[in-house]
Amino acid sequence: MTVVLKKLAGHLARGLVMILVVATISFFIVRNIPGDPMKAALEMKVAAGADPVAAAQEVKVIYGFQPTGSMWSQYVDYLAGLATFDLGTSTLHAGQPVTEVLTESAKWTVLPVLLGILMSFLVGVILGVYAALRRSSKLGDILAISGSLLHGVPQYVLGLLLAAIFATSLGWFPSEGGVADILIEPGFTPEYIGTLIRHAALPVLTYALASYGGWVLAMKSSVVTVLGDDFILASELRGMKRSIIFRYVARNAILPLFTILALSLGLLFAGAVFIERIFNYPGLGLKLIDSVTNRDYALMSGAFLLITVAIVVANILADLLYTVIDPRVRQ
Amino acid sequence: MSKQAPGVRIDGLTVTYNNLPAVRNVSLELPPGTITGIVGESGSGKSTLALSLLNAVQPPGRIAAGSVEIDEIGNVVEFAAEQIRRVRGSQIGYVFQAAQNSLNPLKTVGKQLLDLGRSHGVEDLRGLVRDAKDLLGRMGLDGARVLDSHQHELSGGMRQRVGIMLALVLNAHLVVLDEPTTALDMITQSTILKIIREVHEERGLTTLVITHDIGVVAEVADRLAVMYGGRLVEQGPTREVLASPQHPYTRGLIRAIPRLTGDIDEAQALPGRPPTLATVPAEGCVFRERCPLRMDVCDTVDPAAEAYGTRIVACHAVKVKEHA
Ligand SMILES: Nc1ncnc2c1ncn2[C@@H]1O[C@H](COP(=O)(O)OP(=O)(O)OP(=O)(O)O)[C@@H](O)[C@H]1O
Ligand SMILES: [Mg+2]
Repeated sequence: MTVVLKKLAGHLARGLVMILVVATISFFIVRNIPGDPMKAALEMKVAAGADPVAAAQEVKVIYGFQPTGSMWSQYVDYLAGLATFDLGTSTLHAGQPVTEVLTESAKWTVLPVLLGILMSFLVGVILGVYAALRRSSKLGDILAISGSLLHGVPQYVLGLLLAAIFATSLGWFPSEGGVADILIEPGFTPEYIGTLIRHAALPVLTYALASYGGWVLAMKSSVVTVLGDDFILASELRGMKRSIIFRYVARNAILPLFTILALSLGLLFAGAVFIERIFNYPGLGLKLIDSVTNRDYALMSGAFLLITVAIVVANILADLLYTVIDPRVRQ
Repeated sequence: MSKQAPGVRIDGLTVTYNNLPAVRNVSLELPPGTITGIVGESGSGKSTLALSLLNAVQPPGRIAAGSVEIDEIGNVVEFAAEQIRRVRGSQIGYVFQAAQNSLNPLKTVGKQLLDLGRSHGVEDLRGLVRDAKDLLGRMGLDGARVLDSHQHELSGGMRQRVGIMLALVLNAHLVVLDEPTTALDMITQSTILKIIREVHEERGLTTLVITHDIGVVAEVADRLAVMYGGRLVEQGPTREVLASPQHPYTRGLIRAIPRLTGDIDEAQALPGRPPTLATVPAEGCVFRERCPLRMDVCDTVDPAAEAYGTRIVACHAVKVKEHA
């Protein structure tokens, strides 16, 4: 267990560095956007007759840091804000703190992505095992081929296809976007939960289908490899029960998939930008796009940062899981 | 359950991979309580023969003909899957050729021991653990520590001993060891051989040791069988076979080993290479290409295994000599 804790500490340190790097990059990108949005905003206010000191204060509130002063002092201010989870205020959302806007929208990205990946992981792994055990049968081939095909289709193409078929043509799912039907009163009622599910269904399905093929293929080849391992034959020669040998195979085969899980989660979080745009689903990705089109810089760097954090956290979790399961890594 | 060393009679056994025989018409008897050694070059079919004793030839291989009759168990060639599974481990112990990697890397030895016990309906799991510790201690290991270890925490020699423990812990009285000392250093090798010999005697086992190293057989086996190209070319008491090998292949094999002749200068490598499944001749003697005593008949007729006193040899030249 101490090894796990040590690893966790190492991960957290590296994760923090990574987040710091991304925060720094996004700070300087925003700061160096042609036309300097902060200076422009300040000049606009001054030109409109505002007191320069008060105007600077206002802009500071909007961007989360003082627009005057050296770049360095602005950067320090920005980091100080970060440390207290103060990312400034969103211009797009009428002065609402960026952290508030983001926490509100983050759940509409994190939950569907996790749900999608969980579904595809379970189904993909089970079918992958089946495809491996029946690799010389028709159904095994079909599974493997379907996996390759789906694996090759880009996420956003899947999203567009699903939207065109199930929302536009068939009309089985709502096409107006949003997390719920605005006419239904929010609350813990069957109607509201129903509309939540109907709105989330297609994004979740896209995430699931986008990662499903990868699981089938990875699990299949992993199972085939483990089946050829010496200890499986050795266990058979000791007369171990089939069910026990099956568990040995499954546990050994699933291990390498956890590294893919981390990558895959990262990809899905990044891909959420496209998927949420397609379904007009108001998660982090959509917020990021909105912030770009509306030049809401504080929100932009905040959303960017949060997506980074999500990827970092996913990586840490996957690696810890691996550590807990594989005794060799624990050494 | 057999509580005494069983006898084993292999008769006319042929095992094929994709219809190419890896073991051809082999007959061999393991007398109760003896250690039999099988030697032969790589690819001669030793492991295939050993796996046949557990009816565990791996696909695409299959037992095409013959029988393996084991006392108090029966002809295992005819056993159904579940029937043979129950016999494996509990009545026939098998120490795997790649015993270095014969354990699930994710589980401790102890947990796998319990899995083994559960697979064979052992009720007294505590007793099983006790027996395992005794056996490991018997082989010079700290039983409690080993049971608590994963494979990667054990050295090659320790893994080999764990393999032997798992083959014996359910009280099997027929034990097959496939290359038990390959990949071990010399000192560990001789320790393992000593253990095999001692455990064999203490427990009253019938033991089959497979090796490509004739020195190993010389050290442990009462009886020796020599394989070449899927055929058993010579068998008999170890001492006699080593002292006066009859089959030209056995002679070549012994001459090739400086450890036995005692003089490195006299050691001569066997000329040529052993056949593979694809190149082994379908008719005639399998050894003729490398044989110094080759005759015309060797090209067309596969020599039958014939008894000469305590020895069984399959060679036309030996037969001619005997009749002369
Ligand atoms: N699964 C398999 N499929 C096809 N051919 C096989 C298979 N297993 C073994 N063979 C072939 O059968 C022949 C005998 O193999 P076997 O493993 O019994 O030899 P061996 O005497 O044990 O050799 P080694 O000393 O290398 O362990 C070899 O020619 C080998 O290539
Ligand atoms: Mg072998």
